[in-house]
Amino acid sequence: MIRFDNVGLRYGSGPEILRDVTFHVLPGSFHFLTGPSGAGKTTLLRLLFMSLRPSRGLIFVFGENVTDLSASGRSALRRRIGIVFQDFRLLDHLTTWENVALPLRVMGKRESDYKEDVTDLLRWVGLGDRINAYLEILSGGEKQRVATARAVNGRPELLVADEPTGNVDPAIGNRLLRLFVELNRLGTSVIIATHDYALMEQLEAPRLVLYDGHLQMR
Amino acid sequence: MTFLNDIRDYPWTSLLTGLLPARIVSLLPARFQTKTAQIVPSASIAGNALTVVIAIMSFLACLTAGAVYMINQSANAWVNDIASEITIELDPINTADIEKKMTLVSLFLAKQKGVTRVKPLTADDSAKLLEPWLGQTSALAALPIPRLIAVEIDRSNPPDIQLIKTALTQNFEGVTLDDHRRWQAEIKTITRTAALGGLAVLSLVAAATIAVIVSATRSAMASNREIIEVLHFVGANERFISREFERHFLGLGARAGLLGAIAAALAFLILPLMMHVLGGGVVTEAETSRLIGSGELDLWGYVLCLLVALAVAGICMITSRLGVIRVLKSYA
Repeated sequence: MIRFDNVGLRYGSGPEILRDVTFHVLPGSFHFLTGPSGAGKTTLLRLLFMSLRPSRGLIFVFGENVTDLSASGRSALRRRIGIVFQDFRLLDHLTTWENVALPLRVMGKRESDYKEDVTDLLRWVGLGDRINAYLEILSGGEKQRVATARAVNGRPELLVADEPTGNVDPAIGNRLLRLFVELNRLGTSVIIATHDYALMEQLEAPRLVLYDGHLQMR
Repeated sequence: MTFLNDIRDYPWTSLLTGLLPARIVSLLPARFQTKTAQIVPSASIAGNALTVVIAIMSFLACLTAGAVYMINQSANAWVNDIASEITIELDPINTADIEKKMTLVSLFLAKQKGVTRVKPLTADDSAKLLEPWLGQTSALAALPIPRLIAVEIDRSNPPDIQLIKTALTQNFEGVTLDDHRRWQAEIKTITRTAALGGLAVLSLVAAATIAVIVSATRSAMASNREIIEVLHFVGANERFISREFERHFLGLGARAGLLGAIAAALAFLILPLMMHVLGGGVVTEAETSRLIGSGELDLWGYVLCLLVALAVAGICMITSRLGVIRVLKSYA
């Protein structure tokens, strides 16, 4: 599903941030991506999500070599991936419901076909009373849940989450983890970048550990 | 086929919401109202100033198109008039009895095949034709004014003009035939020049509109960069993103285009009055009227203004789409 072969990345003529990163994510698998702050977790996710190009090596996403993929090809692959950003990347002028529905709207689906599903999903993540709220009145934790709901909406083939429990209390964190596990049971591959050891200990899953630009599987 | 799909899938009903004030839109049936939130907020697209600039462009384009249309109509009427008529001129000098000669020539012409009407103009009629230039003066009676015979011809079965010309020269002295070909050619040249001039002005207006929209699209994209990024992350392709921008520009173009067209239509409505007030006397007014008509547009002229407004909206839409796609390609 996802394959990194000897991937290296440097910004401009600076030092390599990622070196010889090689790993393979199988369909239906669940991985944690961990490492100290600044180890390059977010950079690796950006490579995986095709918003960065590697300086060297090969990246295959759903069997496609992303290095020579066209813009429309990248868009098509991104539709199969759900991503939760550390800084949420939500649209402030849209309501909670509209933000969560955005990927389905982009896919060209009719609003009547997903209206109830999006509402149910928002209730599930504990935002049933915030459906028509604008983001400016939501707390950081609530925004985190909106971003998570947007990523899992449309049941992607791969879910990538960058510190998805960083801004929520443990109870909500556990609930979000259950959501990811449930999605994984339905066939979605999941990669969660976190340095929350308590979260990782709740689940028996392989860990991709980044340290000093190198990646190790544990 | 993508283009056809684009037309089919286009949220045309959203155009109404862009064109009409929100208060009126809320009164429309539900199917004409767009409930889906705008991903690119209207406020982030250059608003009133851009609308005014595009409205002025549309106004200028409508004025130009209307003026060319008016001149063309007027010239066509001229050409039609003079093509269905020939004029015979009798030189009064060295003619003892000019009235007798007028009668003989008229009878000769009336017998010719393809001639439908022969109208000899009296000496007073000829003098009146000179009045706009010479004024009312008794001196006109003393001048050897050429006498004229207006001959109407059957345009569906025209006479052999060359044959009549030869016969007149052979049978009468001092009689010439003018088939107005020189005038027709000159009118056609003037019309063609006006049309080319109009086309040049329209091209400049279109180029200026495109430049303004390209610049507005770039600034709209720069101020919505974060939204574009999010759209990319959720898998939106260039077509989806460009549509989100172009719907704003289509609404803006249609609104501004219509404003310009309405202003131009009003200008054409008051033009006859202006021509009368600022006409500069009877002669100048008459000359202007002969050249460009009465200053009034007919129904098709107003339809032309509407088409120009639609073209302005189309230019705004297409330019913004191409502009967005070009900028998106530069991001990649």
